[in-house]
Amino acid sequence: VGLYACKKSFLSRDPIGQLGDADVATKKGVEELLIGAYAVLDGNYNGFNWQASCTNWVYGSIAGGDAHKGSNAGDQADINPIERYEALSTNDFFNVKWKAVYDGVARTNNVLKALAKADVSDADRGRIRAETRFLRGFYHLEAKKMWNNIPYVDETVDYVANNYKVANTEDAWPKIEADLKAAYDSLPAIMAQVGRANKWAAAAFLAKAYMFEKKYAEAKPLLESIMANGTNPKGVKYALAARYQDNYNADTKNGPESIFAVQASVNDGGQGNNSNPDQILNFPYSDKGAPGGCCGFFQPTQELVNSFRTAGGLPLLDGTYNANPVKSDMGIAADKPFTPDAGPLDPRLDWTVGRRGIPYLDWGAHPGISWIRDQSNGGPYSPKKNVYYKSQEKVLTDGSSWTNGLTAINYILIRYADVILWAAECEVEIGSLEKAREYVNLIRERAANTNGWVKNAAGNAPAANYVINEYATPWTDKNAARKAVHFERKLEFGMEGHRFFDLVRWGEASSTLNAYIAYETTIMSLLKGVKFTEPKNTYYPIPQRQIDLSATNGVSALKQNPDY
Amino acid sequence: CCCMLLLLCVNSTFAQTKKISGKITAENNEPVTGATVQVKGTSTGTVTDVSGAFSLTVPNNATLVVSFVGYKPQELTVGAGSVYNISLETSASALNELVVTGYTTQQRKDIIGAVSTVKAKELVAVPAGNAEQQLQGRVAGLTVLSSGQPGTTSLVRIRGFASFAGNEPLYIVDGVPTFSIENLNSFDIETTTVLKDAGSASIYGARASAGVIVITTKHGSRRNDGKIQVTYDGSYGWQTPGKGFDILNPEETAKWTWIAERNAGKVEANGNPTHPQYGTGVNPVLPDYILAGGKTGVFAGDPAIDASKYNVDFNKGDIYQIVKANKAGTDWYDAITRTAPIQQHAVGLSGGSENSRFYAGFGYYNQEGVVLSTYLKRYSIRANSEFSIKNRVRIGENIQMTFRDNPQLTNLNEGNAISLAYRMNPLIPVHDEFGGWAGTAAKGFNNPSNPVANQTRSKDNKGHAFGIFGNVYAEADILKDLTFRSSFGGNLFSFYANGITSRTYENSENIGSDQLYENSGYGYSWTWTNTMRYEHTFGINNIKALVGIEAIRDGAGRDMNGTGLNPFTNVVNYRTLTGTQSSGRTVGSEGSPGNDIFSMFGKVDYTLMDRYLISAVLRRDGSSNFGIANRYGTFPAVSAGWRVSQEEFLKGVSWINELKLRGGWGKMGNQRIDLNNQYNLYAASASFSAYAIDGASTATFEGINKARIGNPEGRWETNITTNVGLDATLFNNTLDFIFDIYNKKTSNLLFNPELPGTVGQVTYPTINVASMSNKGIDMQLIKRGTFAKNWRYEANLTLTTYKNKITKLSEGVDYFDGNSFGSSRIGTFTRNAVGQPISAFFGYDVVGLFQDDNDVKNSAAQDGAAPGRFKYRDVDGDKKITAADRTFFGDPNPRVTSGLDITIGYKGFDFNMFFYAVTGAKVINYTRWFTDFFPSFPGQAISGRVRDSWTPENKGTTVPIFEDVSNFSTNTQPNSYYMENGAYLRARNVQLSYTLPASTIRTIGMEKLKIYVQAVNLFTITGYKGLDPAVSGVDTNFGVDYGNYPLTRQFILGLNAIF
Repeated sequence: VGLYACKKSFLSRDPIGQLGDADVATKKGVEELLIGAYAVLDGNYNGFNWQASCTNWVYGSIAGGDAHKGSNAGDQADINPIERYEALSTNDFFNVKWKAVYDGVARTNNVLKALAKADVSDADRGRIRAETRFLRGFYHLEAKKMWNNIPYVDETVDYVANNYKVANTEDAWPKIEADLKAAYDSLPAIMAQVGRANKWAAAAFLAKAYMFEKKYAEAKPLLESIMANGTNPKGVKYALAARYQDNYNADTKNGPESIFAVQASVNDGGQGNNSNPDQILNFPYSDKGAPGGCCGFFQPTQELVNSFRTAGGLPLLDGTYNANPVKSDMGIAADKPFTPDAGPLDPRLDWTVGRRGIPYLDWGAHPGISWIRDQSNGGPYSPKKNVYYKSQEKVLTDGSSWTNGLTAINYILIRYADVILWAAECEVEIGSLEKAREYVNLIRERAANTNGWVKNAAGNAPAANYVINEYATPWTDKNAARKAVHFERKLEFGMEGHRFFDLVRWGEASSTLNAYIAYETTIMSLLKGVKFTEPKNTYYPIPQRQIDLSATNGVSALKQNPDY
Repeated sequence: CCCMLLLLCVNSTFAQTKKISGKITAENNEPVTGATVQVKGTSTGTVTDVSGAFSLTVPNNATLVVSFVGYKPQELTVGAGSVYNISLETSASALNELVVTGYTTQQRKDIIGAVSTVKAKELVAVPAGNAEQQLQGRVAGLTVLSSGQPGTTSLVRIRGFASFAGNEPLYIVDGVPTFSIENLNSFDIETTTVLKDAGSASIYGARASAGVIVITTKHGSRRNDGKIQVTYDGSYGWQTPGKGFDILNPEETAKWTWIAERNAGKVEANGNPTHPQYGTGVNPVLPDYILAGGKTGVFAGDPAIDASKYNVDFNKGDIYQIVKANKAGTDWYDAITRTAPIQQHAVGLSGGSENSRFYAGFGYYNQEGVVLSTYLKRYSIRANSEFSIKNRVRIGENIQMTFRDNPQLTNLNEGNAISLAYRMNPLIPVHDEFGGWAGTAAKGFNNPSNPVANQTRSKDNKGHAFGIFGNVYAEADILKDLTFRSSFGGNLFSFYANGITSRTYENSENIGSDQLYENSGYGYSWTWTNTMRYEHTFGINNIKALVGIEAIRDGAGRDMNGTGLNPFTNVVNYRTLTGTQSSGRTVGSEGSPGNDIFSMFGKVDYTLMDRYLISAVLRRDGSSNFGIANRYGTFPAVSAGWRVSQEEFLKGVSWINELKLRGGWGKMGNQRIDLNNQYNLYAASASFSAYAIDGASTATFEGINKARIGNPEGRWETNITTNVGLDATLFNNTLDFIFDIYNKKTSNLLFNPELPGTVGQVTYPTINVASMSNKGIDMQLIKRGTFAKNWRYEANLTLTTYKNKITKLSEGVDYFDGNSFGSSRIGTFTRNAVGQPISAFFGYDVVGLFQDDNDVKNSAAQDGAAPGRFKYRDVDGDKKITAADRTFFGDPNPRVTSGLDITIGYKGFDFNMFFYAVTGAKVINYTRWFTDFFPSFPGQAISGRVRDSWTPENKGTTVPIFEDVSNFSTNTQPNSYYMENGAYLRARNVQLSYTLPASTIRTIGMEKLKIYVQAVNLFTITGYKGLDPAVSGVDTNFGVDYGNYPLTRQFILGLNAIF
């Protein structure tokens, strides 16, 4: 007969390489949980999630008429119905975006839960709590833009408490405001690292929330305060970067225009996940001599390109720019000659769009069709703001993946130009039209800096016929002024993921997008039969999977958005 | 852990003993290897060696029982002599064999659980790199899904699927539990027993719920002449890749490209489509060159065809390729495959003396895969020996050492060589004009990469594994009927791999860097088992009892891995991580502390009058995978049997030799969840929680995030099986019939339901919430006999059926999608839902193609509807096709699987055929998404199916119109168009062998010589249009063909010899 005398410990095995609740309820633990909460600003919680991209290139730019999906029709086919305003609630893109945004929320709540139990100084506790609430407000704001009817999740929500099936029936704005306001009230201006949210980043996001709520009276003084006093965490006063393109270059990141950015890093042991892998598809498609290596997505629309047409150095606010479209190389073989458009154009076009014959950063002139995967599906243009310089390849791009399209370029969530143009919107709605004009002119003045224009191959002259002027005539008509401000945002922020959400908050989505569809359909069959329908298409459908997962006894805590 | 073992020694007296020896032969004077010679009523015994010899020390006047699989047991009393040669008669009844079962052995007649055995020679009939594959079709109730990749791990399932937490059967090799037998050399295996129901398997309670396969390896025998027996089994053969995919030739591909573009209205101003290679004419024109420098669609005489500019060396500057169009068409499947050699050699040495015996086995297995750069090389050594001390104590060990080198491709993946073979346009040649690789760098062919280049570049990638598996044991006969045994065994392994992913130039999406990877690790598990066995017969009563305790640590180990970029050169011997560039290196390591189990168990078998049998089992297990409160589980089982044929009223029925009714009920457990499940955990990840908070471009700050929500309440999953069976041997022992019907219900099933996004992206807790049921019938029929002078035959039919149903998932969640494996670009095809079998196919049910505009108008409203496109079933009848119309349209679970083994013998000749058949299974042929729809990846290869695609003139087809349109009604939804019938009949083995007459052989000093020729997988009859209908996967997502390594034909010559 054998007998074991065993301690209980034989059956207690501790995990390897993992921390427990007690480990993280410490100063170090809370600080690192907070870093972890910043880490998903890019939407990248488990892989290269372009569905959840922080740049919203699908939900903001493609749906907003800035760009086509591009590539082949069948590649990432789930984007097609989003581009065509026909997406179903079962479309996996929405579910991934939802999961990414709420993972951000959950990470912030995990900071607060650990903080409640941790022994930290009052000063640290206040700062950590404020940074965390900033992030929580940000993540919810991101969800709010997408779905409007969203659950607001705070640190009282917990798996063990079984209250995690949170309803989306209550308006989340007050709670988002409260988070951002708390951050604004308690955060210092100066922070240890430039990537952290400081007082002024919180102010800018609070202002953004106000703008979405059309609370111009609250937004205006806040924006003015940012312009008067705002600095980045290193004490550098906010300003427009001298050159527009400095906002899209890894070498000049965290400049004075960057109020809050998603910090990108490469070759850091993270296998490209800390770069902006959500942009991996969005490079020209070519065998050689082109940046990235994949996959020909995110192609600017002809309508966007036409918008940069100027007359007397000013945009054609009446929409007549489409009557005189910018010349394209659609259907022109690579070895057939092509001369780019010679008419007057806003110089920002060639930092926003890659088009044939114009130098594509230091990659040489864009060669046209040989960099395009399927012109008939995506048009003749390439994206540019997410693209790195040839001289930066493998230095500021990650080498650990099959593609070079993982860059250290920050995506700026709010730049100083946002603040100026929001202020201009406020002035139009509740203030002085002349003040609005002054703000818009600040933006145009920077764009007019010839030092910042794309040069020809020789580097001795502008690459195209750039003509840009400030609005010289005083603004007297409120509608015209509003049009000018809104259009300035379209030009200034082209391909930056804001367009669709701007159109929705302005109430202009239906008219603008249906006009865009009508025009673009004359060039490409892609959008044939497409219609933007209000109110249905103003918000995306709540992901069906999340509705299913939030059910108890067959009744879901989540209610689907209207008409889906 | 401080486990102590107290041995209580009991004095006892033994009778006078003497030494005997002898030889056991069969009817034709063939030696019987592995026969058991045992002193009746004791555990004293031995096993015959390869020449049938044995020697044994026995008490005077002992009764010897000689038994062997397939032969009638014989008894004889030891008299004055010391040499006993015994000739066994074929009992021809599987019912009388000696069967190794849980912790013990039993005669088949006493078995009342659902137990199947596989003969050693059946197991090795077909060569395989993994013994589990050789079980396919041999056992009723066992299904094996396996690809043709050398060394692949198969989906082995006993009686369907009981769990979401793991359904691999538990293997017990020489008493040591393991979940993988890939290191075993099948020639070393002596017995294989499959325990299928609770009555037979619950003695392994903790991990038995998916069934148990008990394997013992060969032993030498005690004999007194000191002679060593040598066996040799060797074979050499060729594997042919067979036919590839039905792909359009280059001319047709171009023609159908034009049709697709015209059907979509995608034409240029001139009214014609355009393509970088085919031009923009009324008809497409194949170019002479697909690439010259940066130029595509080039014709002879073009200045770009300038050999002096040619360069494919990155160090020398820009790449400049000149690639001729292969107008005859490249057969890419042919290009990635080869006729590959397969060989195996096994040498066995066995022998013994009065007080010791040994078996040593040496194995070499070398299978080149039919796909380039895939192979399995396995070297194994086995050393089994046993020493007797004073006839009462036996000490021994079974040790196996194996070295494997087994680079594999990622099966069932759109990027593997097999998938690339159906994706590459046939106009592309394998090589360019000067020996470089050709590929999709030539525009117009989309983005597949050259699979021949990929496989060739990876030819030096290594994946080694070294493992030691085995046990040491001691057995002591404490009393005449009481034996104590202690065994300590386990598994210790290490692995190492290195290789390179090369920088490429020939593709449209090139790899930008040479990436070197290197990883290694070690792992171990151990099991310490102590049992006490008692057997006693008093009068008409026979009682057998077993009690034991067991401690297990399973799955402990650590590993580390690293990658680095752009070594100075990628010459094999320069490949070290040290030699890579300093930036861009990544490192990682991880480990598992192992799962500890502590168990106590007991079993009692009681037989009355050799006809009424009762058995009871009780096992109590504690597992470290559960929190303190729920750590222990108790697993009882009871079975009963009635040998009706022993009753007086049947004694007179001459055609019934044996008839037994049996039934059992019992509980088994499953605890295969992550040990970490009980804890809330946080982890640092350089990829997903680090962040460059200071704005640096090439460095991050460490961050952590919650990695797991713990469930301290987790407990044992319970599987309750009821089994009723019947064994019959009829017609003068020429027919065996074994029948089992069962109902297997798993409750408190461990499942980790997805939680709402609001809890964050963590590993969700596994909770005891789901339930599942399996019902089925296992049947085996064996018929044997002679039909003329010198002619003999044997046929063995196994039939397996099961019906699996998920009966509950969790509160509010009634499905989860099978997206954990493979990759579909249009969403998952499999859904695991309440009321459905596991891995059921889900999506839109195609009822046909829209035939005309009227058809579209009169049908339910459907996005993208147009003539020639899919018409989906309006399941909810609301006249709109919405997400609610998705439905379950198929099931990959087979209705019936069967194996039929037929041997016909004439004198020394034997002709064997083994067929394996699957019916009722469906397969999703996902490869159609790439090849049947133009816009999926325009420019890739096109399936021959489109020749029969819908046109207004060809309406009676199931193949949709071929057009460059991607929408809801074409190629963007999982639907039933992709489903094909996965039924098949395969001739697994056709073999002709000749055994030379013993008299001839002895003159050259041999005992036996058999030579054979063999065709493996000679033919497969199936309606499946892909390469192979046997499509594996994981339990919750299988039967979807994402590019499957096929089983292919093999022709083999072999011999086995005994010296």
